[in-house]
Amino acid sequence: MSRANLALLVLIISIATLPLFGGPYALRLGTIACMYAILALSWNVVGGFAGYPSFATAAFFGLGAYIGGVLLARGAPLTIAVPAAGAGSFLVAALLGAALLRLRGHYFAIASLSLIEVFRELINNATDLTGGGMGLNIPLSASAGILADAMFFFYMMWGLLLATAVMVIVVSLSKLGFGLSCIRQNETAANMVGLNTTLYKSIAFGLSACFVGAAGAVYAGWVHYIDPSDVFDILYSVKPIVMALIGGLGSPLGVTIGAFVYLGLEEVVWRNYIQIHSGVLGVLIVLLLLFLPHGLMSLRGRKLFWRVKNV
Amino acid sequence: MLAAQIVVNALVLGCLYACIAIGFSLVWGVLNVINLMHGSFIVLGAYFAWSLYQGFHIAPWYALAIAAPLFFLFGYVIQRLILNRVITAPVLVTLTLTFGLDLILNNAMIYYFKADYRKLILTPPTGSVSIAGAVVPVDRLIATAAALALTGVLYLILRRLRVGRAIVAVRLDRDAAVLMGVDVNSIYAIAFGLGTALAGCAGVLMALIFPISPLTSTAYLGKAFVVCVLGGLGSVSGALAGGILLALIEGVGSAMIGPAHAITLSFMLLIAFLILRPQGLLGRKGFE
Amino acid sequence: MMARFLRSYARLPGLLLVAVGLALSASATSAQEVIKFGAPLPLTGPLAPEAIKQQQGYDLWAEQVNKAGGMSVGGKKYKVEIVYSDYQSNTPRAVQATEQMITQNGVNFMFSPFGSGAAKAASSLSERYKMPTIASTASSSQVYDQGYKYLFGTFTPNDTLTTPLTKIVKAKASNVKKVAILARNDLFPLAIAQEMEKSAKANGFEVVYFEKYAIGTLDHSATLSQIKTLSPQWIFVTGYINDLLLVRKQMTDQQIKADVVSMIAGPAYQEFIDAAGASGENITSAAWWHPAAKYDGKDIFGTTENYVKLFREKFKSDPDYAQASASVSGALFQMAIEKAGTLDKDKVRDALAATDVMTFWGPVKFGSTGQINSLEPPVFQLQGGKAVVLSPDIIKQGEFKLGVN
Repeated sequence: MSRANLALLVLIISIATLPLFGGPYALRLGTIACMYAILALSWNVVGGFAGYPSFATAAFFGLGAYIGGVLLARGAPLTIAVPAAGAGSFLVAALLGAALLRLRGHYFAIASLSLIEVFRELINNATDLTGGGMGLNIPLSASAGILADAMFFFYMMWGLLLATAVMVIVVSLSKLGFGLSCIRQNETAANMVGLNTTLYKSIAFGLSACFVGAAGAVYAGWVHYIDPSDVFDILYSVKPIVMALIGGLGSPLGVTIGAFVYLGLEEVVWRNYIQIHSGVLGVLIVLLLLFLPHGLMSLRGRKLFWRVKNV
Repeated sequence: MLAAQIVVNALVLGCLYACIAIGFSLVWGVLNVINLMHGSFIVLGAYFAWSLYQGFHIAPWYALAIAAPLFFLFGYVIQRLILNRVITAPVLVTLTLTFGLDLILNNAMIYYFKADYRKLILTPPTGSVSIAGAVVPVDRLIATAAALALTGVLYLILRRLRVGRAIVAVRLDRDAAVLMGVDVNSIYAIAFGLGTALAGCAGVLMALIFPISPLTSTAYLGKAFVVCVLGGLGSVSGALAGGILLALIEGVGSAMIGPAHAITLSFMLLIAFLILRPQGLLGRKGFE
Repeated sequence: MMARFLRSYARLPGLLLVAVGLALSASATSAQEVIKFGAPLPLTGPLAPEAIKQQQGYDLWAEQVNKAGGMSVGGKKYKVEIVYSDYQSNTPRAVQATEQMITQNGVNFMFSPFGSGAAKAASSLSERYKMPTIASTASSSQVYDQGYKYLFGTFTPNDTLTTPLTKIVKAKASNVKKVAILARNDLFPLAIAQEMEKSAKANGFEVVYFEKYAIGTLDHSATLSQIKTLSPQWIFVTGYINDLLLVRKQMTDQQIKADVVSMIAGPAYQEFIDAAGASGENITSAAWWHPAAKYDGKDIFGTTENYVKLFREKFKSDPDYAQASASVSGALFQMAIEKAGTLDKDKVRDALAATDVMTFWGPVKFGSTGQINSLEPPVFQLQGGKAVVLSPDIIKQGEFKLGVN
C-alpha cells in the first residue's frame, strides 16, 4: 500500500478521536465532515479515476436519503435502511451508467446534472410514498440524550467514511482502477486493447453512487426530516468537485483533506458573512480555479518531491 | 378548442424559450463552455428593464437597445479577465468556475435588489387578442416578436458580418480558424459578449411576463439546458425548434398527465435526446 | 521509516484542527445586560423573500423594546439582541444553525426557522436543550403533536383558514358547485390545498380539478386552458406570491372568469395587491392576521392600529401576517419573561404555557400541544384595491362580492 493511502487511513482513524475533544456541535461538524469526505471520495472514483465530469452526486445522495428515509419512516431499523439505500443507489447508478457513460465531456456533464432534476421531480410527485413537496418525517429513534445521539450518528457516518476509503483504496489497487485510468487517458485505445470499458464505467459509477446513497440514508435518520429540494440540492454535486479540486484531482488523500478544508472554510464564511456568504464562497471557488488549479496537494507535492530528492 | 389554445400557447412560449436559450447555445457551441451564469444574466436583464421602466418610464422594447451594448460589454470583460484563463481547461473546471461566478452574481443581486419579487406592470395594460379561437395576450405577442427579431439579428450577424463568419469558423474548427489568421481570443470574447447581450435582452423581455427575482435564475437556466439539447448546439434555427418542441411537450404533458410532471418529462426527454440524438433535432453530427 | 512517515503527516490533522478551532472560536462573548434571541432565517435560497419579512418583524419588536429601555426582569432592565443566521433555505442547515446558536452563541431563547418543515426539524433540538422556542410561521399540527414541551406556535392549523372561507362561499354563493384546485407542490401550499379539498367536499362542493404544479414552473397556460374548459365556479390556487401573480396574470390573459377566485397566500401581501392591480378585484383569501383587524392588546404594541403605524414608520409599507407573527412572537416572549421575573428557561416555559392574553395579533392562548388555539383567522377579499375583512364577525368590514373577471 502506498504512503498516501496509508496516510489516508491514519487521517480517518485520527478523526475517530473527535469526541474526546468536542461537544455536540463539534460532533455535528464532524458528522458533516465525514459526510463531505464520503461524497468527495466517491465522486473521485468516477470523476478522478475515470475522468468523467459527473454532477450526479446530489441525485444519488437524494435517492439514498429517500430510500433510507421511506424505510425508516415505515419502521425499519438503520441497519436495514442504510445498506438498502447503498444497494439501491448502486443498482440504479450502474444501470443508468451503462447508458449515460456513453456520453462524453459536456454532454455527460449535462446529463448527470439533469439526473438530479429527474429524480427530484419523480420523488416530488410520488406524494403517497414520499410526502412529495410536504417532505418526509422520520420518527426519532428512542433518544439517549444529546451527546449520545450526536455520538451515534457521528460514528455511523465515520464508519461509512472508513468503508468508502477502503473501497477507494481497493479500487485504486485493483484491475478496475487500472482500467479506469486507462479510460481516463484514452478511452478509444482502452476499448481497442479489449478492455470492457462499458462494464468498468458502470461499476465505477455504481460504486461512486453506493456510498453516497448510504450516506444519504444515515443523513435522513440523523436530521429526521427531508424534503426533495433539501436533499436534491445541486450544491451536493458541486461541493465534492470543489473539494477534489482543493485537494487535487485523483488522489484520495488529497480529496479527503480537500473535504475537511472546504468544511472549515464554509463554516468560517457562513458564520462571518450572513448576507453574502454564498458570494464569498463563489469568490473562493473562482480564486481556487484561477490560481491553484491543481489543488493544495500540488503545493505539498512539490515539497515532497524536493525532500525525496535530497534524502 | 382546448387543443388549439394549447398549440397557440406553446408557439408563443416556445419563442420565448428559444430567446432564453439562444445566448447559452452560442456560448456553449463556440467557446465550449457551459455558462451557468446564463440564468442570472437573464434576471439581471429583467431588473434592468424594471429599473428603466420604474425610474424613467422607458418601455422594455426600447430598453432592449440600451441593454444590448451594456450586457455585451459586461460579457466581453468577464470573458477577457476571467474565463479566458481557463478556456482550454476540461469541462469540470469551466463548469465549476461559472458556478462560482454565478454564486457571486446571484448573491450580489439578492444583496442589492433583495429577494422579494418585483413585477413590471405596464400602464395601461396591453390586454389580449383572439386568434383562430385561441386567446393570446398582447404582451406575450410583443415579447415573441422581439424574441424572433433578436434571433433574426443573431442569424444575420453570424451569416453576413465578417466577425460572424469568424465566430462560425471558430465554432466549426478552431485550429483551422487559427491557421486562417483568426484571432481566437478576441472571437471568444465577442461571442461571449454576444451571448451575454442576448441573455440580457431575453431578461428585458421576460420582465414583461414573469415576476422578477434572483431566485428565478435556475428556472431560466434549466430551460436553456433543455432547449439547447433538444434543438442542437449553436444554431439559431435549432434553438427555435428546441424551444417550440419543449413548450409543446410541457403544454401537452401538463394537460394530459398533470402540470406537476411537466418538468420531469422535459428533463427525461433531455437525457433521452443526449443518449439517442446528441446532435439535437436540427443539429449536424460530429461537432463534439 | 515509519516514524518519519508519521511525523511528515502529523501536520495534516493539526492543520485541520486549526481550521475547526478557528471556526469554533468565532464567538464566545456574552454580555450580562442583554437577552439574546436566536433567529435562524432563510436569507438566501428559495425562501429568501419570507426571511426578509421575518427579520422585519423581529427587528421592529427588538427596536420597540430597546427604545422603551429594555425588558424588566426581576427589577433589572435587559436590552434585547436578536442573533441572526442564514440557513440558505436548507432544512438541515436550519437545524445546524439552531444547535450552533444554542451551544455556541449562548442565546437565551429561540425563534423557530421558517415554515412547518424546518420548525419541526429544529424543534427536537429545542426539546433536548430545554430551550423555550416560538415558531412564528409553522401551522401544521404535526409540528406540535410530537409531545414537546418547549415549542409554541402562533399559527392555528391550516384547516382554520380553509373552513371559514368555504362556509362563506357556501352561504353567499349558492350557484357555486364546481371547484378547481391548483397547488404548488411545496410544503405549505400543498398542505393548504389538501385541507381545501377536504373542506370543499365536506361542504358538498364537487372538486372537478386537483393538480399540483412543480416549484419553479414558468408557465401555467396549458393548465389554465384546461381548467377553463371545465368551467368551475370556484378556482382555488395556492403558492407563493410570484406563482400567484403569474397565475392571475395568465388567467386574465386567457379571459378565465369565475364566481369565486381564492388564492393563498398572495393577497395577504401588499406587493400582491399592488402588482395585481385591477385584476386582483374580488379575489378572496385567508390569513392568520390582517392589518385591518382591530384588537386592543396588552402587549408592547398595544392596538393593531398602533402596530401598523409603527411598522409603516419604520419600513414605509404595510405589515402582513408574516411580519406581524414575528413581532407578536417577540412580544409573547417579553410578556412571559417579565411575568416569570427570571431568565430561567423552565420558568419562562411555564409562563409561556400559561399565556392567556389579548395582543395586537388577537387573543393568544396555547393549547396543550403548544399551538395557539384562541385565534380565528380572518377571511378577506380585495375590493377596490384594498383588503376587506369578511369574517370573523368581530372585525368584519364588508360583504362578500361575487364575480372575478
